[in-house]
Amino acid sequence: MNASRELFIIRLFNSIGATTLSLFKVAGEMSILFISTVKCIIKNKMRYKLTMKQIEFIGVKSVPIVVLTGAFTGMVFGIQTYVGFKDFGAESMSGSLVALAMITELGPVLTGLMVAARVGSSIAAELGTMKVTEQIDALDAMGINTLDYLVAPRLVAAAVVFPMLNVICITFGLMGGYVVNVMFLGVNSVEYVDQSILYVGFIDLLNSLVKAFVFGLVIVTVACYKGLNTRLGAEGVGKSTTQSVVISCVLILLFDYIITTFLVSL
Amino acid sequence: MIKLVDIYKSFGPHDIHKGVSLEIKKGGITVLIGPSGTGKSVLLKLMMGLLKPDSGNVFIDDEDITLVGYNRLLEIRKKFGFLFQNAALFDSMTVYENVAFPLREHTDYDNTKIAGIVEHKLSLVGLSDVNDKFPSELSGGMRKRVGLARSLTLEPDIMLYDEPTTGLDPIMTDVVDDLIYDTQHKLNITSVVVSHDIKSVFKIADNVIMIYQGRVIFCGSTQELGSTQNEYVVQFLSGVKDGPIKVY
Repeated sequence: MNASRELFIIRLFNSIGATTLSLFKVAGEMSILFISTVKCIIKNKMRYKLTMKQIEFIGVKSVPIVVLTGAFTGMVFGIQTYVGFKDFGAESMSGSLVALAMITELGPVLTGLMVAARVGSSIAAELGTMKVTEQIDALDAMGINTLDYLVAPRLVAAAVVFPMLNVICITFGLMGGYVVNVMFLGVNSVEYVDQSILYVGFIDLLNSLVKAFVFGLVIVTVACYKGLNTRLGAEGVGKSTTQSVVISCVLILLFDYIITTFLVSL
Repeated sequence: MIKLVDIYKSFGPHDIHKGVSLEIKKGGITVLIGPSGTGKSVLLKLMMGLLKPDSGNVFIDDEDITLVGYNRLLEIRKKFGFLFQNAALFDSMTVYENVAFPLREHTDYDNTKIAGIVEHKLSLVGLSDVNDKFPSELSGGMRKRVGLARSLTLEPDIMLYDEPTTGLDPIMTDVVDDLIYDTQHKLNITSVVVSHDIKSVFKIADNVIMIYQGRVIFCGSTQELGSTQNEYVVQFLSGVKDGPIKVY
């Protein structure tokens, strides 16, 4: 009995140790990938054509989903806050809450999550397929730096378009809140807009843009890492794609907390 | 000159190479033969640094590529052309774009010159009117020939062919064999070919190396190959299942 309990405890600690080591290894490898790519971007000539293609894919083609997400979130949040504030006769306060929430949290986080699902999965699947069909080996064999050719354009594109997508999401969220409160629920338009502007400061806008920028880098780094480390054929591509989205989403929430804590303390 | 010294390589629990040492001299065609799964393709990848050995050294023109940095390795790889087993064409690019790709990356040639080279290389491998097709629209044999054309565009010093004739019909096999032979002799490059096609081996090889159970068990000319008493080599050449090479 004692021996089997000892064995169980040893296995438990082994498993905890192995998982922890594996987490640190993956985090380390992702950091190395990110830093090496940034070095590539600084040192090498920019690949404009590839970068523009990625800006179109990550940015332009994500606009519809970001618009829908922003608009509906703003509308729903507008209704919820209206109902809450109505009991105190402060319906117009709904505007400030919608504005603050959309700008500081919902805009960047929802943009990050939605685009992680659309773009992160696609990048991981594309690079994963290239990996298992030896296309990445072929690039290497031709003396082409794969980070420079495959990762750098995506990282630059994400850094450029994520803050823009965030602004689009926020804009449509604010419009959604306005439409619901002013046009459907009868809140005074001037009061609503005044309240929306009143509590939003420069630090909130900065907070929002920094978050979107970081989330963009996180999504692309994770997706490229999972894609470039894909093994075992079609099944491996599927796994990489799923893991890329899950890890990106978790990291978005984690970085959201870290960035908020840091910027609030300024 | 390519020299591998005491190479050990394993993937997980599987030991692929257990002390492979071999030397490939400049300017000839060396064919690597051996049963499937003995790590011949892995050896090609080790030669150009696509894989790193667990231990041992790989020398390309007296430079140990296991010790150089990534950027230097990229430079060294420009000496090589590599035809992958499954061609490894970029599936998002057309045939033309695939063959033109190394030229666009490594030269300043204008579009007219690139077009001329692409047409020439594709005609060398017997392909025409496929410029605008995507790899998914080609047969396995055609893909392989496009891969061959792509690997030859920069006229490398060393050509590595990973089963160049597998999947081709006998006539096209002969064409590709001639192409490998002619390319080697015209450009005086070094060619290393992994092949299971014994007829091709005797047709094109200057030297033959046989790998079995992670070691080199034969190294010599085609004449020596034909007259060897090594029972492993004899069984492999005759293609019978009974003998010292265990299939199961």
